[in-house]
Amino acid sequence: MNGEPQPGGWVGRELPRKEDNRLLRGRGKFVDDIRLRDMLYLRFVRSPYAHAKVVRVDVSAAEAVPGVVCTLTGPEVAQQTQPFIEIGPDPFARIKDYPFAVSKARYQGEPVAAVIATSPHIADDAAELVQVEYEGLDAVVDAEHALEDKVLLHEDAGTNRVWRGVFEYGDMEKAFREAAHIVSIDHLHFHRFSSTPLENNAVIAHWDAKDEHIYYWCNNSFPSFAIQFLAAHLGIPIDRIRVQTFDIGGSFGIKITSYPQMAACALASKKAGGRPVKWIETRSEHNISSAHGNERTFRDTRVALDRNGVITGIASRHIDDCGAYPRYEPLGCVIWAQVFPGVYRFKNARIDFSQAVTNKCPVGPNRGYSRMQHLWFLERVIDICAHELGIPGDEMRLRNYIRPEEFPYTTPNGCVYDSGNYPKMLRVAKDRIGWDDWKRKQAAARQDGRLIGIGIGTTLDSGTNNFGQSQIVNPHAPFSGNSQGANCKLDIYGEVVVAVGSCPQGQGHETTAAQVVADVLNIHPDMITVRTGFDTERNVHTGASGTYASQFAVSGLSAVHGAAQKLKTEMKRLGAFLLETSEKNLEFGAGQQGPEIRRKDNGQAVNYWRLANVVNVNSAVLPAELYDVTLNCRYVWRAPFKVPDKEKKYGNLTLTYASQLHIAVVEIDRGIFVPRILDYVAVDDCGKVINPPIVEGQVYGATAHGIGAALMESCVYDSVGNMLTATFSDYTPITSMNMPAVKYAHIETPSPHSYSGAKGMGEGGAAPVHTISAALQDALFASGIIIQDSFNNGDSLYRAMVSKEICQADRLVKLEKRF
Amino acid sequence: MYPRAFHYHRASSLREATEMLSQLGEEAKLLAGGQSLIPLMKLRFANPAHLVDLNFIQGISYIKQENGAIHIGPLTRHAEIQDSAAAAKITILHDCAAGIADVQVRNRGTIGGSLAEADPSGDWATVLMTLTTDVHCFDGKRKRSIPLRDFVKDAYTTALSHDELVSEISIQLPPKGSGGAYIAFKRAAPVYPTASAAVQLTVEGDTCKEASIALGCVGLTPVRPSEAESALRGQRLSEKTIAAAAEAARTACDPQSDMRGSAEYKREVVGALVKRAVEAAVRRARGEQVEVSHLYA
Repeated sequence: MNGEPQPGGWVGRELPRKEDNRLLRGRGKFVDDIRLRDMLYLRFVRSPYAHAKVVRVDVSAAEAVPGVVCTLTGPEVAQQTQPFIEIGPDPFARIKDYPFAVSKARYQGEPVAAVIATSPHIADDAAELVQVEYEGLDAVVDAEHALEDKVLLHEDAGTNRVWRGVFEYGDMEKAFREAAHIVSIDHLHFHRFSSTPLENNAVIAHWDAKDEHIYYWCNNSFPSFAIQFLAAHLGIPIDRIRVQTFDIGGSFGIKITSYPQMAACALASKKAGGRPVKWIETRSEHNISSAHGNERTFRDTRVALDRNGVITGIASRHIDDCGAYPRYEPLGCVIWAQVFPGVYRFKNARIDFSQAVTNKCPVGPNRGYSRMQHLWFLERVIDICAHELGIPGDEMRLRNYIRPEEFPYTTPNGCVYDSGNYPKMLRVAKDRIGWDDWKRKQAAARQDGRLIGIGIGTTLDSGTNNFGQSQIVNPHAPFSGNSQGANCKLDIYGEVVVAVGSCPQGQGHETTAAQVVADVLNIHPDMITVRTGFDTERNVHTGASGTYASQFAVSGLSAVHGAAQKLKTEMKRLGAFLLETSEKNLEFGAGQQGPEIRRKDNGQAVNYWRLANVVNVNSAVLPAELYDVTLNCRYVWRAPFKVPDKEKKYGNLTLTYASQLHIAVVEIDRGIFVPRILDYVAVDDCGKVINPPIVEGQVYGATAHGIGAALMESCVYDSVGNMLTATFSDYTPITSMNMPAVKYAHIETPSPHSYSGAKGMGEGGAAPVHTISAALQDALFASGIIIQDSFNNGDSLYRAMVSKEICQADRLVKLEKRF
Repeated sequence: MYPRAFHYHRASSLREATEMLSQLGEEAKLLAGGQSLIPLMKLRFANPAHLVDLNFIQGISYIKQENGAIHIGPLTRHAEIQDSAAAAKITILHDCAAGIADVQVRNRGTIGGSLAEADPSGDWATVLMTLTTDVHCFDGKRKRSIPLRDFVKDAYTTALSHDELVSEISIQLPPKGSGGAYIAFKRAAPVYPTASAAVQLTVEGDTCKEASIALGCVGLTPVRPSEAESALRGQRLSEKTIAAAAEAARTACDPQSDMRGSAEYKREVVGALVKRAVEAAVRRARGEQVEVSHLYA
């Protein structure tokens, strides 16, 4: 599939982003910039309790406030709607999830009612007057406790266990029987954190009584998914829901699950007689009740290794915490299996995976979704085993990495890693950071009593997922494969216009799509208009359209490329007719009158205006055999997937595997126990790079997100379910003050699965989380400390190093040397 | 969220502001830089019925040196102190002003507002506690000058009566041979510190003649660890005496466990901060140019 001629060479070039002109001048168009006639404003009334019966909701005082148009409460919404679709199987599918708590509130911040008023100030004032009588219930905030089912969140399900499945491959019995060493790790924990997009969730809904359509202007990042949930919930044909997005100030996946709020706004609009309703989420609301990332606990891990430290088998029990409602879950119960063995060669493994609901904010697919938790686990296994066996971390990885010559590599669970070269990434990273020099400095510093650690994190960013994996969690799920749609046309006056079913939030889709089309038509990217955002009425989307899961360079650009090729084919036929020659005698390019098609032999040309003219408004000149030419070409790209084997949990779950290798040098301050990053390198391999600054920018963004997660950002709940990090003062998202200078490098192993050799990227596999854990353990292993949590700040390292409450190797890890 | 509705009053003089306060009663609050008040109002944790805005009063934003003291107007922004050559004569003032939150907050927030708010995590009270600082107060009729240690009564509580406001802060220039440093540990730039230590020392040769230390965020008001000061005062400065001072400071502080850290951890941080601040203060007292920065996560 490679080898398509690239006349202009725009793909791969450092082209400034087309979007930046408007964004940097403050001309971006965001949801809150939109004001409609007679628009109303919604404010949610939220539960202060993590778990409580809602005995009575009295909205009379709120409704009496001048300017309040109406209110909404759980019971009236439940009467008018169907519960949201559940992706998982019975018994958990029996739960009833609505945009509001109906009889019970199940997390702090869950909407209980809403006030709709003529101004946001009035809505805020009136929301305070809604009287809610609660009857407090015991809360369960820990997933392992939740699995005991002593406190039930959803009585309809009869259990807190959302899903359980065992993923077993190879010959575990043999692996452990023949192991030279067995390392046991009692307990590891990946913490709950989120993203902090500049723009919070935002929705305008207009339920228009005139045409019985619902019009949405919003920043949901997976609208095709949202409308499937909304149509079923609201009982309206899906074609009557129009969703538009414009510029979006970041999503990182957590805006995928804003459909309950979208439903609430539509219902409010309907009740208000068809006036549009706007809801702009506050930062505190966002922190407490939008979506958080999945938290995961890893229990009873046993690792079989041979004499050389090569891992031959891993057995472990994983418990995932999805908060109060599954929403996008339990997809996370299988999505980690896209990277089942990580970057390593072991063939035998048994992972017993469960997911539980808890009285905390529901999770959403936070950047690195479900895979980063597992990859962190594997990186901990590698480093803990390496330290126990006295093998350096770099050497341990080289012995266990999948080898470059083994690609395409089929994992024990049937995933096909398209390409990669992990040893080369390690070499590049070591070279860039000055590995040997740092090793010398580290040894010298240790003599002075300083605690310096050097850690490696190797991780994967699997992109373009096979929705067939949903059938592993629910055999009846009607999803499989993956697709993206695009449209490429010459408009009536001959302008090249591209529309694609993605909804970018900073990934530069307008630029990269233009680069692809520019190469097909051999014109400048500035001669191409790429529509901003997503719109169902552009008619390009498929059910998988949106921007999520590191895939635009593959699914999005393949769709754009396919549409452009289709257009080019039509243009050639038309050009041959108008220029009275054969298609072979034609070339594409730009001339005095802009983009054109030329005869190679005599230079005679026809411009795009003329091509569009004869098709659209001057068609009597066309012969009948060209009537099928529309110059308006929709193309749907489909990933070549099969439905996985549901019983064996076997099959290819993702199309491309971008990889990242980071190295951090970290010093733990002996006074305040804060880890300080002394040096940092990020090496990225996303195959063919479409636009280097766009890739580099996303690598920096993902690196900042990961460093924040590793050292600063944690969603903390107390034992009764109060969220303690509801403001930025407590959550402390990373800022430039906390960022080290990051050295960046990349290698390119082209993917055979995309037309350009590109792989999806952007999530970055949370490499800094793995890398910083590794560096901290390197600094502290000699002190008997194992890094057991993905979040480590001064306070937790103090508890590990001084009060010795946590992370004690002698309590957590056992090495059994068998022969 | 939006604040609850309130009445806005613009004062044209400090006297008028005090009159407004006394007329409007307990439901009125002064608006200076608004960097604490406005966020609290937006969260609806503070719901004043009236705001008396001081920002349009002329002549209450200044930094000047007179009679051996630095005099600072109550509406002087942190950023103005950060950039002031007069204030730089007391290096610890610069440490404090330059390290408060972020640029936006420093451009708006005021020294008078910070002292009058008396937040246990505020920077100014902690720093000024190590110097001879008087807070000048005015209730429209009478002016009085209160030593800072008497001005700060408790968490969020000062000696100000309801219709009284801060009209000036005056800080005695420390003697020759004196140097100070202020170091806080902050999890991120815009947030309050986890703990902070302000140290002002007078050094003669190898001996510490005078020492004052104040600890921030680890008590209801800035903590003066007198035993830590005694551990230095009149002593030859050595690693051992500095360690003793740090240890005494750890013992003296009274932190609470919260999202910024456990009480035990904060004690540990206090010890480390005191040590570093003393070391920097000693070098500054000896005339060295030493850059001091807060520690960030």
